[in-house]
Amino acid sequence: MSIIAFFVIASFTLPEKIGTEPKSLLWLLPLAAAITVVYKATKLPKITAGNFIKESALLLGSMVVFIIAIALGLYVLAWLIIE
Amino acid sequence: MPRYSKENNILFLLIVGFLAWLIPGAGHLVLKEKKRAIIIFVTIALTFCMGLYIGSIGVIDLFGTAAIYVKVAQVMNPPIAVILGYQTIGGAYPVYGWPNEVGQVYIMTSGLLNLLCIVNAVYLAYLQRMGMAGG
Repeated sequence: MSIIAFFVIASFTLPEKIGTEPKSLLWLLPLAAAITVVYKATKLPKITAGNFIKESALLLGSMVVFIIAIALGLYVLAWLIIE
Repeated sequence: MPRYSKENNILFLLIVGFLAWLIPGAGHLVLKEKKRAIIIFVTIALTFCMGLYIGSIGVIDLFGTAAIYVKVAQVMNPPIAVILGYQTIGGAYPVYGWPNEVGQVYIMTSGLLNLLCIVNAVYLAYLQRMGMAGG
């Protein structure tokens, strides 16, 4: 990595303000996308733009749907315990 | 058809693994997997930079009190993480709360994704050499 890139990165010295509200969890969506893209880049036997985007979107979608399903399940469980 | 000795094969695999750690995607580039290399480089570099943007360079805690799994995951990043780790010795850039958590998760994940790519590049290099040697 070049010296300029290093100095740019090293200038990130102030953290962002992230609250503890539920919408802060949306910060994890780009992370899920990154995991999906790298995983598919290592797993697909041949990479073409259309196929790669389709496969990545499918995996990301299934991950998000599964996370939402688990969240709903836990929410219902918590509601049943409290009520 | 070229023939490779066992020592040459091991040296080649080590070089591919080292390059893959040094620059994300470089291992795949050596194996002429240009598209994979570009995707891997862009994604891992973006994830790493986003972690630094969210939590600042203070989230890199290689020499502090962070748990060992955090340090191991962070050191799997390219060497720039180690260089930045020296800048943050002694809590020079303190980060607390959610920015610390989220930033650290991003940095750790980029390190673990880099590890995945290192293993994949070495495996592909092994397969290529086996193919060339008629294995």
